[in-house]
Amino acid sequence: MAQADIRAFLTEVAGPDAAARASADYLTQEARRHIPAGRIAEWVAACRSLEQAGLGNAVILAYVRQSPVVARIAGADAAIALADHVKTIAFTAGRAAAQALPAAAAAAASRLDSADRYKAWLAVVLRFAPHMKESVEALLRHTDHILSRLDVSRFEAWTLGGIRIAGGDKERRRLFFAFGDPAAERSLLRESGEVVFSDLERRLKTYLTALWRVRVAVREAAVGVGRPIPRRASFDAGVVRMPASFPGVPQAQANDLFRAALAHIAAHLMYSGPRFRPGSLKPLQIALVSLIEDARVEHLAMRDFPGLRRLWLPFHAAAAAGTVTAPGLMARLSRALIDPDYDDDDDFVAKGRRMFFEREADWEDPTISRGIGNLLGNDLGQMRVQFNAKTYVVEPAYRDDNAGLWDFEDAPPEDMDVAEMFESVRIAPKQEDEPEPDDSKQDNAPDTPINKARPSDSTPEEEGVPVARYPEWDYAVAQERPEWTTLVEYPPAPGPAAVVERILEGRPDIVNRITALVRSARVSRPVRLRRQPEGDRLDLDACIDAVITQRHGDTPDPNVYMTSARKFRDLSVLVLLDVSQSTNDRVKGSRETVLELEQEATALLAHAMNEVGDPFAIHAFCSNTREEVRYMRIKDFQTPYDNMAKSYLAGLTGQLSTRLGAAMRHAGEDLRNQMTHRKLLLVVTDGEPSDIDVQDRKYLVEDARKAVASLSQQGIDVFCVGLDSGGDSYLTRIFGRRNALQIDRLSSLPEKLPMLYFRLTA
Amino acid sequence: MDLKDYLIAEEPYYRAVGSEIALFEAAYASRMPMMLKGPTGCGKTRFVEHMAWRLKKPLVSVACHEDMTASDLVGRYLLDAEGTVWHDGPLTLAVRYGGICYLDEIVEARQDTTVVIHALTDDRRMLPLEKKNEVIRAHPDFQLVISYNPGYQSVLKDLKESTKQRFGAVDFTYPAPDIEAEIVAHEAGIDMPLARQLVTIAARSRNLKGHGLDEGASTRMLIHAGQLVARGVSLGEACQVAIVLPITDDPDIRDALGAAIEACT
Repeated sequence: MAQADIRAFLTEVAGPDAAARASADYLTQEARRHIPAGRIAEWVAACRSLEQAGLGNAVILAYVRQSPVVARIAGADAAIALADHVKTIAFTAGRAAAQALPAAAAAAASRLDSADRYKAWLAVVLRFAPHMKESVEALLRHTDHILSRLDVSRFEAWTLGGIRIAGGDKERRRLFFAFGDPAAERSLLRESGEVVFSDLERRLKTYLTALWRVRVAVREAAVGVGRPIPRRASFDAGVVRMPASFPGVPQAQANDLFRAALAHIAAHLMYSGPRFRPGSLKPLQIALVSLIEDARVEHLAMRDFPGLRRLWLPFHAAAAAGTVTAPGLMARLSRALIDPDYDDDDDFVAKGRRMFFEREADWEDPTISRGIGNLLGNDLGQMRVQFNAKTYVVEPAYRDDNAGLWDFEDAPPEDMDVAEMFESVRIAPKQEDEPEPDDSKQDNAPDTPINKARPSDSTPEEEGVPVARYPEWDYAVAQERPEWTTLVEYPPAPGPAAVVERILEGRPDIVNRITALVRSARVSRPVRLRRQPEGDRLDLDACIDAVITQRHGDTPDPNVYMTSARKFRDLSVLVLLDVSQSTNDRVKGSRETVLELEQEATALLAHAMNEVGDPFAIHAFCSNTREEVRYMRIKDFQTPYDNMAKSYLAGLTGQLSTRLGAAMRHAGEDLRNQMTHRKLLLVVTDGEPSDIDVQDRKYLVEDARKAVASLSQQGIDVFCVGLDSGGDSYLTRIFGRRNALQIDRLSSLPEKLPMLYFRLTA
Repeated sequence: MDLKDYLIAEEPYYRAVGSEIALFEAAYASRMPMMLKGPTGCGKTRFVEHMAWRLKKPLVSVACHEDMTASDLVGRYLLDAEGTVWHDGPLTLAVRYGGICYLDEIVEARQDTTVVIHALTDDRRMLPLEKKNEVIRAHPDFQLVISYNPGYQSVLKDLKESTKQRFGAVDFTYPAPDIEAEIVAHEAGIDMPLARQLVTIAARSRNLKGHGLDEGASTRMLIHAGQLVARGVSLGEACQVAIVLPITDDPDIRDALGAAIEACT
């Protein structure tokens, strides 16, 4: 009876065609196999309850398909209860999430393989779902991937971490749980206990600088769902790509492994010559030339720094035993070339060793690698040992994939195997390097800023929200027009955050100066206070004055003590960027636009402010008549300066006009609520205030002047950096002579802005 | 009163790197104020001592600091039973009795303090003591020497342009590796190969200038490390104690520097 009941239900849900009937049959069997006969009626009732809840066939089918799997591992109770949870999730997070739940539950049950652990997992999902409504579906869809690396308690920690990182920002949460944010994968690695490269990055880069005075750009190689985990480091055109972690390497060794890998790549950068051309070399020969080159640069490095041998040697574990395979022999040769105490009686290894050390005098010359590698490649080829270019991985693990040694650009290798050899270990560029392909944001492609200026082009997602109305000052009648301008806040468009990192890396001189200034700004310096009524020491000068006065017969000043107090920084800064259409103009004598310079300057400034620890915000504005003064929050006082803020900064585009007064009033509202002693509004603008609905040039200038005056009444200091060489007159008019700085040579803005900040806040 | 106590009796060891001794002698001959520029621990102070000894003039040194006032340099009234007594400051001593006054790390002092030297360092060569209503004409032997570490240069700490332009300057850097090794070997009493190794290690830390360190390891630090090794400490530990730990508190930089030193040995 029960069986008929299921079938009837399933056929009804699945539809009438033959395939559906077949699958209904299959599902019926599955259900009967895993759910005890006594409980089938309850299970069907659960299915029906989903139908009654109006969740749609897709959800019901997902449940029907997956709940027997749950039943098998976690028991019939769990499987039947799952229907209620599906309804709960549908209620909190929507139908798509509800549809994903049964599959995730089945995956969790199979991964965790215990009813208790499954229940714990489900509890975590149900507990967090209300706090991450939009991302529940993504979390469920990635459950299998996550649980393949973490246990339940770490799953909980990871999920909570994601919610925390996003800090209430829906977009960020969505990105995190969809693994679009590299932080997601990184924190997954961290939770799973691997040594993560980014934790060591700074010290390892510094290590290379100490040894060779090189500053290499190191990127973490992309890892992610559905991508092979990179197994070796790689370098190419000055960029080193490092695996985020070396899975399976014990923690104690992982540190050294990263260090050894970077030192090896640095040896290439220092001692390898121009890239080799593969010509007609076979994959095996290419592998051997690379191997000899590896040994050559390591020996040159060890001439300068003998201690490197102790770093590299422990990773050479090849032993002169076992079956003879090409990779095995090559690993043994690698060891023979670096380890003087290693004995290997194999003819090939011995020959390679002899040939290499015979040319010791010529080690400086990269071509010997090619010569020796070529001959050895021939020998190994004739030994008819197995070599599969597709599965070959360089040994030992610290060595890079050697793709950076070869120049395949002009002459594509005739032999596809060669390319594949590198492909198999090749590390794809980190996703961050390219703008995220995000459907909703496609209209924001950076190369179409002009199109974007037309409101008609905006997609619904980037519709702004009117948040406030501000008065405007009409100088002609000397009156404020109340509620004259409407301020519309727009979500900022994300851009590639790496741009900001690159700016910092590209200006090390400025960054260093900033760091030095930060240090002196950050420490609260003791200031000596003289002539105090009390203190821990006598102020000698005051004492003498007092005694002299006394001997004159006058009453001495009792303030004869000296004490020291610490001076603390207590200020918040809001940087307001003008991103009007005119910022798209190229700066004279430079290939950059005004906006790019603004971004660069702001990146450096933000770096400085972040280091000092002053609370700061970065906002941008432009305007399209008084009805729409657009305002973008790149970073707020309470949000951290992280990749998200950087990506917003990189994503700025120039459009529309400059209604300065309204924007400053809005910025003032934010600053006013800061609980610091000093509040500084730093305006960066490239031109005179203007808007298309205003003809009178003086009107907006006078309004901005009024805005500045009312801000300073509220205790907010306003300072302006003008990027227009002819702007002296109106900037002075608006901000006052002392509070406006004119930058003549625009290209110096990036270094001037942070310096200005230090001077203003010292 | 004279400045006998300030005379240097024994020759301080100084290994000339270039023509600095001849230059300084020429500058002293015309009593030109001198500025010694260079990173910390590269031998500026030792050089002044050596020159004072060579010229047989007393040397009055003042280590400048942020809280220093003009009275700390020129002097002040003190009290005794009868009333007030004027007490010459170190600068006034050197001006009155003829000696070399050496203001070490002058940028540390506040800019308004350092203007007291202005009248001394142009052709007037005099020091007005406002509080005492006295003008001291500088003794013919008097010379002013300041030292100055350009690494500190920043918007917050720098010499006034009007101060800078009164001085001739000698630029000090770390000596070439062979000479530096010679100095380290002499001062620490170690052999040349070890001294050379220490110099290689120093070069590693100097590579980090601007990348986590404000200054690389100075010659002085190398001498310290060398002295420890001479007393039987292992090279690695000596470098840790004398170089890595003092130079930075940043764990990443310590790790990197430690590993780099490891690679050198």
